[in-house]
Amino acid sequence: MEFIRRLLGKEAEPPVTEEIVPEELLDTGPTLVVGQASHIGRVRKRNEDAYFTLQATLSRNGETFPFGLFLVADGMGGHKGGELASALTARVVAEAVLREFYLPWLTSGVEDVIPQRPINEVILEAANEANLAVQRVAPEAGTTLTFALIQGTNAYIAHVGDSRAYLIRQGRLEQITQDHSLLARLIELGQILPEEAASHPQRNVLYKAIGQGGTLEVDFYLKSLPTNSYLLLCSDGLWGLINEEHMAAIVRESPTPQEACRKLVHEANLQGGEDNITVILVQIKG
Amino acid sequence: MALSTRQFPELEGHLEEGETLPIGIVLQKRYQITEVLGIGGQSVVYQARDMKFPNVTKLCAVKEMINAAPDLRLRELAVRNFEREADVMAELNHAALPKIFDKFSEGNRSYLVMDFIPGKDLEAILEEAPGFLSENQVIQWGIEICDVLAYLHSRQPGPIVFRDVKPSNVMSGPQERVMLIDFGIARVFQPDQKGTMIGTEGYSPPEQYRGIAEPRGDIYALGATLHHLLTKRDPRLEPPFSFEERPVRSINPDVSEGLEAIVMRALQYDMDKRFSSAEEMKLALTALVELRAGDSSGVAVGTIALPRSSDGVLATWEFVCEDEIFSSPVVSNGVLYIGAYDHNLWALDAKSGEFIWKYATEGGINAQPCVYDDKVIVGSEDRVLYAVHTSRGRIVWSCPTNGRIRSSARVEFDIVFFGSDDGYLYTVRAQSGRVVWRFQAMKEIRSSPAIDGEVVYVGSDDGHLYALNIQDGKRRWQFRIARGVMSSPLVFEGLVYVGGMDNSLYAIDARYGSAAWRYRTGGRVISSPAISPELGVVYVGSVDGSVYAVDADSGRLVWKFPTEDQVISSPSVFKGVVYIGSRDGHLYALDAKSGDLRWKFKTEGRVLSSAPPAIYEGMVYIGATDHRVYALPI
Repeated sequence: MEFIRRLLGKEAEPPVTEEIVPEELLDTGPTLVVGQASHIGRVRKRNEDAYFTLQATLSRNGETFPFGLFLVADGMGGHKGGELASALTARVVAEAVLREFYLPWLTSGVEDVIPQRPINEVILEAANEANLAVQRVAPEAGTTLTFALIQGTNAYIAHVGDSRAYLIRQGRLEQITQDHSLLARLIELGQILPEEAASHPQRNVLYKAIGQGGTLEVDFYLKSLPTNSYLLLCSDGLWGLINEEHMAAIVRESPTPQEACRKLVHEANLQGGEDNITVILVQIKG
Repeated sequence: MALSTRQFPELEGHLEEGETLPIGIVLQKRYQITEVLGIGGQSVVYQARDMKFPNVTKLCAVKEMINAAPDLRLRELAVRNFEREADVMAELNHAALPKIFDKFSEGNRSYLVMDFIPGKDLEAILEEAPGFLSENQVIQWGIEICDVLAYLHSRQPGPIVFRDVKPSNVMSGPQERVMLIDFGIARVFQPDQKGTMIGTEGYSPPEQYRGIAEPRGDIYALGATLHHLLTKRDPRLEPPFSFEERPVRSINPDVSEGLEAIVMRALQYDMDKRFSSAEEMKLALTALVELRAGDSSGVAVGTIALPRSSDGVLATWEFVCEDEIFSSPVVSNGVLYIGAYDHNLWALDAKSGEFIWKYATEGGINAQPCVYDDKVIVGSEDRVLYAVHTSRGRIVWSCPTNGRIRSSARVEFDIVFFGSDDGYLYTVRAQSGRVVWRFQAMKEIRSSPAIDGEVVYVGSDDGHLYALNIQDGKRRWQFRIARGVMSSPLVFEGLVYVGGMDNSLYAIDARYGSAAWRYRTGGRVISSPAISPELGVVYVGSVDGSVYAVDADSGRLVWKFPTEDQVISSPSVFKGVVYIGSRDGHLYALDAKSGDLRWKFKTEGRVLSSAPPAIYEGMVYIGATDHRVYALPI
């Protein structure tokens, strides 16, 4: 009856009240917003940095399960060695983490048959796979490697070299990783002041890198990411030229992580752009 | 037969940068290159035949300077430095220094000619040795190197700093005497490296990077050399200046404390803390030899750590039950409650150990009791969970199950959580003992549950750690641990820590059920982990006999303490001290930060409780298989 009435346009439609869907009924759980940028800088002839970003979200029963993989690699070594080393490392690590962790996670239900491997083992193995691959393919070259696997609000970080991972919260930068550089060690021992570091002749000497072969000891960090914090990964082309307060200010004042990355690169170039500049910024939104 | 000049090809024209001389080339119409002996950063060394003695094979070593300076002015500077240093060397006279007897330039390169030393360098000897080298041999080398360094440092008008002491620069020559080779020839001006380099010289002292090269730097380098020779750990492969993280004896325990002390003193970052001269170091090494020859107990030279004495600790009181005690007590309101294999739940005064009451069940009690409100709750091997009045020991309620109960109960939100050998995790109202829900695992649940927020975590012998909703017992996730879980989980800052029968300690993400990290021990981990929130360290025992301290975030080992037998019981952490019992019969008190032994207490039996010692008002309480409950002061 209702239908025929409507068809014949006999009755005016009753006024429909706008129903606003309450926020709480939307998916719960954190989301990641990502910005990324890489630039050759103003001095170098090639860009030997590589990066990788991947973001995925599974949502079920109203709960979200975010996953992220973010990687920076700064290559070094004559001819094309550096480019080769960092590119190969980015691909090998991404493939290994997906193969050994994320895909099995996706396929395991509550009745899991495959025992799940601890994350620290998966990412440390991925780094060692890259180490052997680079040694095989580009024996004279090497690369730094700093990458983070994010699951929910936990970041699992593996690190070798002098690229860096920072946690930004409440407007302040906290360096998570430790540089594997001779310089960092000398500063730690009080042999050089941090101010002298910028012009020190051995500032580029690393004592550990992907591609050096053998078994590589890779640093592992587990960081809990609070809501509205950021994870920032970058090569030394960025942190070597912009100090921490300045980086924090740029992130704070930018409307999006992508915009922040663009500004950070721009600023590094303004300061001389002596090296390749790469930055990834991940915002954890509640 | 007439000698033809064609048999002695001469160097014609320019050699390309980076090219070594071809074999057979003759330099200065006199030295025929026969072999490349080694290529270093600054030089190449060849073996050559001195053709001035054609009827015999007189060998010599020809050292060629690598001149990588980018421009002509710097190149000339490098050559002049080289010549000046060659002059200095020519004047030196020491058994450990090869004699120079010629120098020249040819083509665009500079050369020195010196004695050829047959033999192997210490790096090669170290590599070829099947195990560690003998301490006496290393001390002997140390003494001889100190001797030649002392000679160099005492030259006039100024000391000569060798600057490159390392195993590959020390030959074990004729009569096994050492010879220093690759004498600091021509420190060529290194152009500023543009790109990043990998690798450092692990033997160099830190002050060298500030441009300071003085005799005490050679002492550091000698210390680094001896460290490498004793431990077989190449400092170039380790983070720079990190020798203190690898004390000699922690890698090679056969080394005497005296030698370790000498090596570590030479390796002090601060120059002023090292030996002030090579002569002083030589005296220390010589004194050590005499000591070792005379007396085998090896008294050390210099400061050494005193052997730790474990102070005798006396119990404040002990109480004897009627049978073995396999669990730990709990203390509340000045009363200590403990179950024993004599079927009884005992209540004793915590300060004096005086008997208050006991409650008899029908089976042995293996679990730790739990106090809630005015009730003490504990399960028995008679398959029943009991709630008994704290004041008189009268029964309030009981909850039967179909299996022995060894899991310790926990109470949250007025609900009691406990597991049974019948494979169920039970939730029961604390006031009435009525079952709310139960979850079925496939095998016994012997571990105790942990509750955090809306989730309860418990392990089962069926090989899983389960995360269940508190409301309804619905499974959120399960994590597989081979051979089962007897350890009780601990939840802290979003991670669940638990030990497994697969020998590992796990940290599992509480929300996702994926393992953040795993730490492998040498035996099953039945012990339940405890944490120090201030230090961020997790402590647990293993059947392999050791107590482990592991970083809570990264899973890296902080320290490890060996006991004499399996560690099945769990640790308690209180005010910077870890208390844990071992099957060897002792209760240990270990420093939470360093793992050093503070004291230990011997019972007459074994400490097998899987629950941690109870700590209350200045005392620690444990039970042992000698039927006793002990109260010890802390």
